[in-house]
Amino acid sequence: MGKKRRTEVVAGEVIEKPESQIRMMWDTLKKNKAALGGLVVIVLLVFLAIFGDLLAPYDPEYSDMAHTFVKPCSQYLFGTDQLGRDIFSRVLSGTKISLMVGLCAVAFSLIIGTILGSVAGYFGGRVDGFIMRCMDIMLSIPSILLAITLMAALGKGLDKAIIAIGIVSIPEYARIVRSSILSVKENDYVAAAKVIGNSDRRIIFRHILPNVVSSIVVRATLGISTAILDTAALGFLGMGVQPPMAEWGDMLGRARTYIFSAPYTLIFPGLAITLAVLAFNLFGDGLRDALDPKERV
Amino acid sequence: MRKKVVSALLCTAVAVSLAACGGQGTSETTGTSTQGASGEQTEAAAPETQAAGEALTAFGEVPEDVDREQTITFAQGADPRGLDPAIVDDGESSKPIVQMYEGLLKFGDSNTEVEPCLAESWDISDDGLTYTFHLKEGVKFHDGTDFNAEAVKFNVERQTINKTVDMTYGDFVYGDVAECNVIDDYTVEFKLTKASTPFLNNLAMSLGAPMVSPAACEQYGNNLNENPVGTGPYKFVRWDKNEAVVLERNEDYWGEKGVAKNIVFRTITDNSARVVALTNGEVDIIDGIDANVVDQITAAGCVLNKVEGMNINYLGFNTDVITDPEVRKALSQAVNVPELVESLYRGYATEATTILPSFMPGYSDGITRPSYDPEAAQATLQEKGVTQIHMLAYTNPRPYNTATGQTLAEAIQGYWAKVGVECTIDSYDWTTYKDKVNAGGYDVCLYGWNGDNGDPDNFMYLLAHEDPGMNVAHYNDEEYKQMLAEAAALPNGDERNAAYAAMEQKLADECVWLPISHQESLSAYVSNVNNFIYHPTGNVFLSKTYKN
Repeated sequence: MGKKRRTEVVAGEVIEKPESQIRMMWDTLKKNKAALGGLVVIVLLVFLAIFGDLLAPYDPEYSDMAHTFVKPCSQYLFGTDQLGRDIFSRVLSGTKISLMVGLCAVAFSLIIGTILGSVAGYFGGRVDGFIMRCMDIMLSIPSILLAITLMAALGKGLDKAIIAIGIVSIPEYARIVRSSILSVKENDYVAAAKVIGNSDRRIIFRHILPNVVSSIVVRATLGISTAILDTAALGFLGMGVQPPMAEWGDMLGRARTYIFSAPYTLIFPGLAITLAVLAFNLFGDGLRDALDPKERV
Repeated sequence: MRKKVVSALLCTAVAVSLAACGGQGTSETTGTSTQGASGEQTEAAAPETQAAGEALTAFGEVPEDVDREQTITFAQGADPRGLDPAIVDDGESSKPIVQMYEGLLKFGDSNTEVEPCLAESWDISDDGLTYTFHLKEGVKFHDGTDFNAEAVKFNVERQTINKTVDMTYGDFVYGDVAECNVIDDYTVEFKLTKASTPFLNNLAMSLGAPMVSPAACEQYGNNLNENPVGTGPYKFVRWDKNEAVVLERNEDYWGEKGVAKNIVFRTITDNSARVVALTNGEVDIIDGIDANVVDQITAAGCVLNKVEGMNINYLGFNTDVITDPEVRKALSQAVNVPELVESLYRGYATEATTILPSFMPGYSDGITRPSYDPEAAQATLQEKGVTQIHMLAYTNPRPYNTATGQTLAEAIQGYWAKVGVECTIDSYDWTTYKDKVNAGGYDVCLYGWNGDNGDPDNFMYLLAHEDPGMNVAHYNDEEYKQMLAEAAALPNGDERNAAYAAMEQKLADECVWLPISHQESLSAYVSNVNNFIYHPTGNVFLSKTYKN
């Protein structure tokens, strides 16, 4: 119910002042060449993630033991791996997995982190103390270690990787949202909303959260690159996906035995990770410049 | 803004260097006790005139002027499971164990012919049921207690009548022993329940047979895994788990004393990291070499040592779960073993058609594995409704499978996918893997065996073993056990060989295992290492090995 109303209202605001927000953001973003480059790569990656399977010359999971370690050539653009699978097709197929895990993990931590952060910030006191101490505990454990532990407990699989990576980054969102809420909630309009009898939930979602949307969006964009890296790290450690699924980090991990004899088995998935992470980082930085008024001044 | 771009670049640099981290991380964390040797090794890393790589067959003379303060570092692919020869059952444990312990008998330098060791001589009664051993006098365990007939009796009874659950090798070695009697201080008599041809070979094995100190057993609760005490040329110093086992020369050794002052067995699980450790001089000898890195090793001026492997690399079908031999046959037919072996092991392993390697007595070339026939396999599997298989695999390389269990598992998964069977793989490091196998609950698992004593009984007994961790196929067949017992009692010769051939035929008919390959044992050492032999049993006896 409340959710539906919120979108209506937000949409209304956008119509009221269409020029200021989006246009200004786009103008700033346009001037930032690096961010634009990142955006182009992201669009490309999304395109590959959706249509990659159609473009892939081979089944990424088909192993042809008679053609292992074929060097990059016209038939196999990136060569073949230790099981005779086409690396080009596997890198393409890996795009989908990395982006999906990245987006889902960020969405997962974003939703839970926002709820926890706003509850903590809005109510304060003991609730705040309890939630934020829990977040501190999570932050005090190295994130990749926490993710590995979670994976060990949950078992292999994409869905579990999403949960593990998602849980790990909850505290970041909770913190950002909490601090924004703390600074906003003392405003007069919040007091006014309270006085006229709005429910807490309505106040949080309708009146407070819209103020922190920009910083969350920036954080989430950068968070995708972290999530992609974490996915790769889990895969590298052999804890990510069930073989023979093509995942960049997993490909790296399997191929590292052949780093000297067949470096191409390693270079291409490595480049793919680099490209994706770089693109999201550059775009996220540009977005921050565009959205965050404090830094723009 | 600029700062952020820099950090973004750093992030990506991390992505690129992930691979390198995997390699270096392992070697850096294990920098325990190689400092002493590093000075000598720097010269060795430079490519010198490369030795021919001809494997030694007997240890040579050690020169007078050799440096007796040196440290020999051997790197292997997994941590030992323990250092008590009665309890463990893996090759990684066996290598440090043979430096510290000895049995009544030992094998030749590079063969499996028995020679005297702690027993100077022995008599066998005409009926083959009584063995009398005359022990060497004046031998002391590392803890200072005497080695004598009572100690032998203690060791035998420890693994027979006083056996605990985890002593898997006791059955191999002393399975036929009815009683062990002390005749006098240095004479001991074994009474067997039936004549056993492999018995003497069994007593020379590196696991089960070595003599441990009874006093130490009492002191450490009958488990010397962490506190090994034997009579061998090297004594235990310390074991840094997952890093290194450190040994030092036993100055009171009864025989020819070890050359190197210290021997260190390092654990470097990652194949490529182990090779890098060798080529940059961090370690002196490595084993478990993947065929893909052979060029890298020789190019760095190190010597590749290649010996025929007395081993079998196989996939075991859990016969409790996959009870239908037709299904097992179809799953075997679906795998193109010759292609698989050629592409994974690059000519450093031979395709296995049956369990025994071709040079072992009892091998028969008349026995075949189901030949590659994906259509027939698919038809059978569809008819039987087999679509899902759960496989257990190990992540690390093994002496019988240098390409790592994970890679082999994925290759087999690829073949099965082509006949419509989806295989899920659960892979674990070796120690965890052993526990998972013992627990059961799999359809198939990857496994292997390295022969301990050159006798076919040592291989064929696996399928009659009570321990599910040994008999991973959970094969339990009374007829087979009967055949095995009869064959063990026969004297060596054609009749005995024929008996083993018949057993292999039976196993082939029932498709209990999918035999995959016999791996050549590849090890490599820095070019200044001398007197190194990789024994067919997969052991290394390093007391005469030295660097100059």
